[in-house]
Amino acid sequence: MADRFELSPEDIKVFLDEAEELLQVMEENFLRLEKSREPELLQDIFRAAHTLKGSSATLGHRNMAEVTHSMENIFDKLRKGKTQVTSGVVDTLFACLDVLRAYKDEIATGEDARVDRDGILNRLRVLDEGTNTGASVAPMVAAGAVLTWDERQEASEGLEKGERLWMVHIAIEPNSPMPAVRAFQSLMALGELGTVVRSWPSQEDVEQDRVGLDLRALLVGGSRPEEIRKGLAEIQETSVIGVVEQNAASLAAPQEADSPDEAAEGAKAEAISSEGNRDRLRGNRTVRVDVEILDSLMNLVGELVIDRTRLTQIVGTLEGRYQVGDVAQDLGRASAHIGRVTGELQERIMRARMLPVENLFKKFPRMVRDLSIKAGKEMDFILRGEETELDRSVIEEIGDPLMHLLRNAVDHAIESPEERVRAGKPARGTVILEASQQENQIVLVVRDDGRGIDPEKIRNHAIRKGVLTAESAKRLSEAEVVDLIFAAGFSTAEKISDISGRGVGMDVVRKNIEKLNGTIEIDTRVGQGTEFRIKLPLTLAIIRALLVEIDREVFAIPLSSVTETHRIPLAEIKTVNRREVIMLRGKVLPLLRLVDLLGFNVEEKEAQEYVLVVIINLGGKEVGIAVHSLVGEQEVVIKSLGTFLGEIPGLSGATILGDGNVAIILDVPSLIKAWVPDAVKTA
Amino acid sequence: MERFEQTAEAREIQLVGFVLAGELYGVDINWVREILTPQRITRVPHVAPFVEGVINDRGRVVPVIDLRKRLKLRAGEISRTTRIAIVEVEGLAVGMIVDSVSETFRLSADQVEPASPVIIGVDADYLLGVARVDERLVILLDLARILAKGARIAV
Repeated sequence: MADRFELSPEDIKVFLDEAEELLQVMEENFLRLEKSREPELLQDIFRAAHTLKGSSATLGHRNMAEVTHSMENIFDKLRKGKTQVTSGVVDTLFACLDVLRAYKDEIATGEDARVDRDGILNRLRVLDEGTNTGASVAPMVAAGAVLTWDERQEASEGLEKGERLWMVHIAIEPNSPMPAVRAFQSLMALGELGTVVRSWPSQEDVEQDRVGLDLRALLVGGSRPEEIRKGLAEIQETSVIGVVEQNAASLAAPQEADSPDEAAEGAKAEAISSEGNRDRLRGNRTVRVDVEILDSLMNLVGELVIDRTRLTQIVGTLEGRYQVGDVAQDLGRASAHIGRVTGELQERIMRARMLPVENLFKKFPRMVRDLSIKAGKEMDFILRGEETELDRSVIEEIGDPLMHLLRNAVDHAIESPEERVRAGKPARGTVILEASQQENQIVLVVRDDGRGIDPEKIRNHAIRKGVLTAESAKRLSEAEVVDLIFAAGFSTAEKISDISGRGVGMDVVRKNIEKLNGTIEIDTRVGQGTEFRIKLPLTLAIIRALLVEIDREVFAIPLSSVTETHRIPLAEIKTVNRREVIMLRGKVLPLLRLVDLLGFNVEEKEAQEYVLVVIINLGGKEVGIAVHSLVGEQEVVIKSLGTFLGEIPGLSGATILGDGNVAIILDVPSLIKAWVPDAVKTA
Repeated sequence: MERFEQTAEAREIQLVGFVLAGELYGVDINWVREILTPQRITRVPHVAPFVEGVINDRGRVVPVIDLRKRLKLRAGEISRTTRIAIVEVEGLAVGMIVDSVSETFRLSADQVEPASPVIIGVDADYLLGVARVDERLVILLDLARILAKGARIAV
């Protein structure tokens, strides 16, 4: 429950956002760490863990602070080379992240996280102790780096009087119910042995219950280390990790510190906070905006776009009807200007709604790693173009399809190392996920160098599954055969694996992408690999559409599914198997009448000598759709049909045209699938 | 009946009256957003027959139903008095085509009696009851039911 914590809901929200960011930093770096042992990675990881520990302690989430604290111990060992990075270590660290995420959710939802806290702490302890061969660990803060002038003065005076200077490092047991009390007792005990120049956390923080599981104090006094340990021994739930003597040099200002290892430590602690400050300063240049505000801005701009179109039409009418006078010219100029401003406004607001795909891509490396280990495969997963920006609503929707494609790549496409070596390929496979912007589209590519898709296997499988008859299968080109993997109820996975056999097939992937007015194409070579190419519009709210007319009713067809339009003489319409077809560049395309697809009861105007045909891309296969007339191409703002009508297969919404009338936006592929599923099967 | 009882607690309700096939109907005024004169309605494919289509109501796309068809009354024709009443229940706005809109009137809860479908010839499921106002019979509509599911054809 959020009210367990003494923070406002806003603060908790900030905490949650920050926590997620930090968890992702750790996750990314764990993956990299497994591959390369760059020391900078550990610095980043340490910094993230440290910040998370601090903020979760501030929030009062003990469990979270405790787990991060124990993780920090491991990072420290890794950094000092006392522990090696093994996949066992990385596994444990990943398990920690899962626990931390569960705690994060606990804060967000108020429902207790069901995690094995003790289990994970034990695993960490085993890692920690496994390499700790009894040698006491030196305390880690160099005094000089973080002392104020007064404090330094106090310490130096003590040294001059012949007293000794100690850095005392105390750990409070993770399960202590009252860590602040233990910290307080410890400081009191030290106060009896000498003067506490400074402590981390400060005495003030301790008094106000702001403590972690770690207490360090700089003590001036004549005592020997044994005495200090003895003085602290009485305090329950604590243990002394180290008592290390400091010299005058360590009191010096940071740049003069002569103990590089320890000074670096202290400087780092400083760096964490000053970097935080810098981030905060930079953060002032941006504001958090509720997504709903952006959505309503987008809607308002949508209204403007409609009015702009209308205004242009009115100007056109005026110019046509009257002699062009000054007033009409003025109106024309004003209208053109409003048009430009509206266009720019639309563009800016669209930008404001965009996020880098990085936010989405981030979760995949971990998933691919876990899946490949499970499947006993070796592979490199490469991300490219993470900075490419996409509308946040598109990002939300595209995650599942991408995840499915990646799962397939790991589970089915990439061969086992032995098989790859036999085929003369490197044992490690490669899976690439790439984003790029091409004009008004975002292109997402999932590419692997696996076994590819064998058209012959697909052909046989399709016949076995009854998707195709043996005869019609023979007539399909290889590309058309490969495209069958998108057909409903088609799955080549012979056995149901833990990874991909979840009942969601490629048909769902295509459907989800088409719902976003996007397309998916596949390019595959047996033995060499497969590439899926997803094209998406930049935004969902406004699309370019072809306006067509049926029985005095205007309909909008998203241009993403239209390949071209044709005027076909009636004489060129043939009938095959009692179905109408047309010939286009030597290919036979089924011809469907939009009137029939819409279920409208209209007498066909057969008086005309030709039909207007819109060629629709039905996922690699083309179909002709006969309409009564073509109105033109236009940007339309998508509006929902509302919950009263609900989701109607084949209709993706409505839009308001320049003349104020409503036009229904058609999703032609779904329209065909839902209402005349057989129409295109055998053609 | 639940909806009506809620409003009945206020003892008195104000209704908008309209005519369908010669009978007077009443709807709580709080649910009526506006009354429009007939306008071009865009047909929507693959919906229930009583859905006439959608209209542009100040930038919003609002579905319009033929209330006669919804209540299974005999079909009517569009005349000079025909109106589209935009009603809104829990954020759901729907236009209803009615023969004409009459006056508003007040009614106290104890004037309401259960509806007898035999007399009225309307599916009693959509009614809250009937009441006598100035010697006239007013049929009270249960909008929540009328606007409930069933607008689309089962696929």
